[in-house]
Amino acid sequence: MNVDYLVNSLYLIKPELAIASALVLLVLIDLIMGNNKKFLPYVAIAGLIAAAYFIIGQFGMNSLAFVSKSNKGMIIADPFGAFFKGIVVFASLFVVYFSIKSDEIKASFERHGEYYTLIFGMILGMFFMISASDLILIYISLELVSFSSYVLAGFTKTALRNSEAALKYVIYGGVSSGIMLFGISILYGITGSTNLYEINSLIQSSSIPNLTFILSGILIFVGIGYKISAAPFHFWTPDVYEGAPITITAFLSVASKAAGFALLIRFIKITFIKSVDSAGYWQLVDLIDWKTFFIFLSIITMTLGNFAALWQDNLKRMLAYSSIAHAGYLLLGMAVLSNQGMIAIIIYFAVYAITNLGAFFVVMLIANKIGSENIDDYKGLGYSQPFLGVSLAIFLISLTGLPPTAGFIGKLYLFIALVDAKMITLAVIALLNSVVALYYYIRVLKNLFLSRPANGTFEFKVSFSNGLVLVLLAAPIIILGIYFTPLVDLAKNSMQILGF
Amino acid sequence: MSLELFLFLVFAAVAAVSGILMITRSEVVMAALFLILNLASLAGLYLLLNAQFIAVVQVIVYAGAIMVLFLFVIMLLRPEHEKIVTKISGIRTFAFIIAALVFVQLAYVILKSHPGSALNSDVTASVNAGTVESIGTELYTNYILPFEAAGFLLLAATIGAVVLAKRKFE
Amino acid sequence: MLTEFGKIFVFLLVAVIFVIALVIVAWLIRPSRPTKEKLMTYECGENPEGSPWVKFNIRFYVVALIFLIFDVEVVLLIPWALVYRQFGLGGFMVGAIFLIMLGLGMAYEWRKGDLEWERAKIIPPVIKRPVFSSKETREAEPVKSKQLV
Repeated sequence: MNVDYLVNSLYLIKPELAIASALVLLVLIDLIMGNNKKFLPYVAIAGLIAAAYFIIGQFGMNSLAFVSKSNKGMIIADPFGAFFKGIVVFASLFVVYFSIKSDEIKASFERHGEYYTLIFGMILGMFFMISASDLILIYISLELVSFSSYVLAGFTKTALRNSEAALKYVIYGGVSSGIMLFGISILYGITGSTNLYEINSLIQSSSIPNLTFILSGILIFVGIGYKISAAPFHFWTPDVYEGAPITITAFLSVASKAAGFALLIRFIKITFIKSVDSAGYWQLVDLIDWKTFFIFLSIITMTLGNFAALWQDNLKRMLAYSSIAHAGYLLLGMAVLSNQGMIAIIIYFAVYAITNLGAFFVVMLIANKIGSENIDDYKGLGYSQPFLGVSLAIFLISLTGLPPTAGFIGKLYLFIALVDAKMITLAVIALLNSVVALYYYIRVLKNLFLSRPANGTFEFKVSFSNGLVLVLLAAPIIILGIYFTPLVDLAKNSMQILGF
Repeated sequence: MSLELFLFLVFAAVAAVSGILMITRSEVVMAALFLILNLASLAGLYLLLNAQFIAVVQVIVYAGAIMVLFLFVIMLLRPEHEKIVTKISGIRTFAFIIAALVFVQLAYVILKSHPGSALNSDVTASVNAGTVESIGTELYTNYILPFEAAGFLLLAATIGAVVLAKRKFE
Repeated sequence: MLTEFGKIFVFLLVAVIFVIALVIVAWLIRPSRPTKEKLMTYECGENPEGSPWVKFNIRFYVVALIFLIFDVEVVLLIPWALVYRQFGLGGFMVGAIFLIMLGLGMAYEWRKGDLEWERAKIIPPVIKRPVFSSKETREAEPVKSKQLV
């Protein structure tokens, strides 16, 4: 075998290599050092920083790795992948920091080695998911993410709801990945290839049995829809988000969803595209009506997420439903099927990532002290802990999408894309949904600032490092809400998918 | 009738009958044993399709290792306490509908869309090459990356299995 | 033409037919005079009591799970063992990295003590001298000994 071919490809997957070596290192350190687990988070952070460095280098790349005579390439290095990998690394860095501070995780000290190893397993899987161009690699990476997250969701050993969360996650995950595999096998059966680029050129050139193809496309979407928790496949989300440790919930809601959306966009855009016209609209192969499919799906997803969130008293569970709703908004960007929609998705996701991480961080800090995530226990937090209260308010306002915050910019670009594509009705539905969302976010704010606190509930101090991290998360939301040109420029750079 | 057709009919009949027997047994252990028979006859079908490697994998992994897990779970759960589950009404109808849907899907895909006459001529080549050597060659030329990713997947699975199993001891 | 797998199939066929034939022959030849004692499950002369299901130790399950994982790994390594010579150093490295992953998993289980079979500690029964403080216990005592007989 030609070793050069391997070595050349390895240059293109440096971030993945960094994460993989960090994973191996974590296992080794855990094995050698035994009960001394102080170094694990630092090794994790070092690995992530190395990966981040390589990812920045990938913004300039545009090529396929592992290309051989009979295969058109396994994995893609392009700016689009670099952006989503960046989101994953960003979220991971914060999650590692959260884990150091979380009481839940501290309680299971003797298993920290496993904890960080599995987190890195997830990151590796997400990296492959984001940049894979072959159905086999897509499936294996999806499983890698799922396996690690099943175990992490049931990581803290004491809580009963924790075990329930893990079990539900495994069952739904198993079914949906089985269905996805079925779809992949049908797609392979009718095209004879697992490479997305090859499938694209095959379905353009010849006639394909129509209904079978639709079937396979939708079955494959089930697996992806499960990862992004889109509407009919969202049932696991509330229970898992509520039951899992908060650090893992934050990670699932940001990183896992980022990987899922990256996979969705890449799958749709590479496999089904015919051409991109001058205005940036995608002309898809007219075998599957993806547009109607996404419109339908996004309407159910956001409506369901928003209305179910209205009744929730547990803040974690409410954020779970709100993350379903956000998946719905993001699917709106898919429904436009244009480059503009994609830019909107990227902007929205960057904002959503920062905001959600921040919101979960505040929830974790408070849960550390008062041991509850119930909204009613937050009464008067804004008076006794103005710093925490104000930052939580910023995060929630940004999740609603109101003006001075970055969340508004995300929604704005989404609506502009919709209006440009003359999908006014959809825009109106999304707007009405935002109004519903306003209600349940405001309910938390009301508890924070308009109710009197019970005596002595919130007598604690936020440490300097925690405060710094909180500022690091809250400040960009305000700054990007006012000065958002860099974000838009970044999004325009990162919508570049190899080949189109 | 050619030998191949005859063998196909034998294996298919065994698979179908053992499948039906499996889902109708009330004894869980009996059901598990019929599942083994079902998986073994599927291995026979794979052999007829010239997929020797898959057939061997089917026997080693499914009929071997996974069934051991099945039996252990049955032993752990003491199934004589679990008989109430079958009494849930409506679940049977639901299962029938799902099964019928999947059947119609498969029938449609097989009969209508002629997956044999595929677009890519490589399919015929891949049908002829089900030997262990040819799969090895594919794994070490085109599919190196998924192969190594599978290595990581198995490492994560090992660690995860140990973490989850340990919860019970403590 | 009989392929190698055809030969295996002939073996299987012979084995199945042989077993079925033996059972049928035995059924035809043997005398059948069942009694109640003969039909009872044999438990060293004791009358069987309670459910035959025993609660399984979960450790068996862990071992089986680990076995399953390594089984899958073996299946993936068979093709490698057959063809890696063709690919020289590159092919060897690919398999070696995979093997290192397996080795790590193995080392992990070893180090964490999951391969060890921790036996349940046998706690010798502590017989407390019965303290006859009240009337009831003194009366209850002979009933217990009656049960043991």
